[in-house]
Amino acid sequence: MDKTIREIILAVLLSLLGFPARAAGFPLQGFVELDYGIKVSDDDTKRDNYNLLEQRLQLKSAYYFEGNNYLADKGGLINFKGDFTVDEYFGGKTDFELREFYFAWSPYKFLDAKLGRQILTWGTGDYLFINDLFPKDYISFFLGRDDEYLKKPSDALKMSFYPKWGNVDFVASAFTPNTTAEGSRLSFFDPFHGGITAVASNLDLLAPPLQLSNNEYALRYYRNVGSNELALYYFRGFDKNPNSTKSEAEQQLFYRRLDAYGWSLRGPFASGIGNVEFGYYHSRDDSSGKDRLIENSLLKVLGGYEKDLGNDLKVGFQYLYEQRLDYDHYRDNLSPGDFFFDEFRHLLTQRITKLYKNQTVTVSLFNFYSPSDRDGYARPSVSYALSDQWKIALGANLPWGEDDTTEFGQMKRNKNVYFRVRYSF
Amino acid sequence: MKKCAGVFFVLLFWAVPCLAQGLTAQDIVQKANLVSYYAGKDGASDVKMKIIDSQGRERVREFRILRLNSEEGGAQKFYVYFHKPTDVAKMVYMVWKHLGKDDDRWLYLPALDLVKRIAASDKRSSFVGSHFVYEDVSGRSIDADTHELVETTETLYKLKNIPKDSKTPEFSYYFVWIDKNNFMPVKAEYYTADNKLIRTIEALAVAEIEGHPTVTKSMAKDLERGGETTMEFSNIDYDLGLTDEIFAERYLRRAPAEWIKQ
Repeated sequence: MDKTIREIILAVLLSLLGFPARAAGFPLQGFVELDYGIKVSDDDTKRDNYNLLEQRLQLKSAYYFEGNNYLADKGGLINFKGDFTVDEYFGGKTDFELREFYFAWSPYKFLDAKLGRQILTWGTGDYLFINDLFPKDYISFFLGRDDEYLKKPSDALKMSFYPKWGNVDFVASAFTPNTTAEGSRLSFFDPFHGGITAVASNLDLLAPPLQLSNNEYALRYYRNVGSNELALYYFRGFDKNPNSTKSEAEQQLFYRRLDAYGWSLRGPFASGIGNVEFGYYHSRDDSSGKDRLIENSLLKVLGGYEKDLGNDLKVGFQYLYEQRLDYDHYRDNLSPGDFFFDEFRHLLTQRITKLYKNQTVTVSLFNFYSPSDRDGYARPSVSYALSDQWKIALGANLPWGEDDTTEFGQMKRNKNVYFRVRYSF
Repeated sequence: MKKCAGVFFVLLFWAVPCLAQGLTAQDIVQKANLVSYYAGKDGASDVKMKIIDSQGRERVREFRILRLNSEEGGAQKFYVYFHKPTDVAKMVYMVWKHLGKDDDRWLYLPALDLVKRIAASDKRSSFVGSHFVYEDVSGRSIDADTHELVETTETLYKLKNIPKDSKTPEFSYYFVWIDKNNFMPVKAEYYTADNKLIRTIEALAVAEIEGHPTVTKSMAKDLERGGETTMEFSNIDYDLGLTDEIFAERYLRRAPAEWIKQ
């Protein structure tokens, strides 16, 4: 992009933020893109032909403090990333999402801090998350937006300590729920409608009120043991999905209180990379499992393996085991007419990625398959970097399932084929 | 017995010219390895990479590379911070190079705040889409090939190198020309079993920096499919005092500003 356009965008942006428009010395990067997702299955969402049609402008910039002052001395920096969107799905609605806006500095040699809006990730899974209980956007995921948009930002303070005996991350954040299907764009299983529902859904999602006692805390201890990475996790907060019921009459779902404990190990294994992750989810609002309206405690175990077969061909496999604990209590307390869920879930995933033409062409297939839920989700995609600026992608989202209640089965009417073109500057 | 004597004679015969200078092929390769990949205790450089494909289209990668020798001629750590293109800006690639076992590799994707472990058994795959392979950047183990000094000119040693494991690489043998004066490899040619030249690497410019002979511009050419990549090195420094702690997850997530600034 030529310099003048860049400066105009920057000037507009800075004036929006209330800064005087002085562009010089401020690096500004980003992209513009168009996404178009054509529906290939029928449902009763807002539009019949497509579930994704939007233009996006992402701008990012970073400012490193300089000179002879405390902030420069402590490596202070401000990072900004924001997305302007025009969403044709909602009649050309314009929106701005602030994805990152944080201040980072290292107050001590053994401490890094990051305050503000930020993306947070840890754990070892590939599209599967056990101890990463930071917010995600599953609407973006099922629509086929870039992977970046699977992660939602948190408003948080992250402190990372580096004593001799390991590394400790501590995150305190305000509650941000996952973005999940709610009917206008993606159809899903609505228990109050007894099946897959779209615009007719009338769910009321009750988020915990914004107050100090509803803050979330996440802790990770990790260290290297030779070439292996060992991590321990603790989380205290809320389920990010509205999986529990407050009032059936008023169709109110809420985010139950959740504690999670876990560990993971990742390292070289059988000439590839192996990982194991374990998590115990303690349902604080329903410790005994007797409340039929609140999700029980859960056990989750993940095993994964990735291998480079050479010639830019990589394969990966994962197995996830989930067990609903206190299942007898849950089953014994069900009411007639309740939808009921299985005690065990087995989920397999497979990823295959092949690069061609000096790594400018990426062909990839990611598959979820659950033999116990009899459902799955295929995500094939091809992308081509025509130049350092232009990139196009073509892909599909193909969830399927025999039942309407399972994780992927309930999404089966949202199949799409999407196209994306992006210009980076 | 006769055959053995013959072999002995041949060995003796080709060993003579190098013995005259007190250097075997192994000695030369060892010195060249240290000169080209282990200069100083540590090193840093900005790299501008121009990739030109077979149709003449150009792509540019700009990154800063930090290197720390854990032991001379042995294990090393690399930290590669990308500035350009913008879709990979702030991405970090980290390698703990080992001898005798697979390297450990990590990739940090800033948009996802994700530290990814990369399976890395294939050292002959392209480095960031260029015509250089991983091994060209971090060094091919000198034990991976048998080395033979085939020619000595006034200024250069010419070595023939044959992979011990013939299954892995795409070539059957390669020649390397090494500067007699400073032991810097200046050119390599890769051949298939039927003696077809498929790939070349060349040092286009060498300078003495802080007492170390240093390649400041190099080029890799793919003669089979066409296309070439040039790498230009600038802001080169040695013995900066890099430490192990930089080559860890902490600095993947939070790049050390003092070391990566352009």
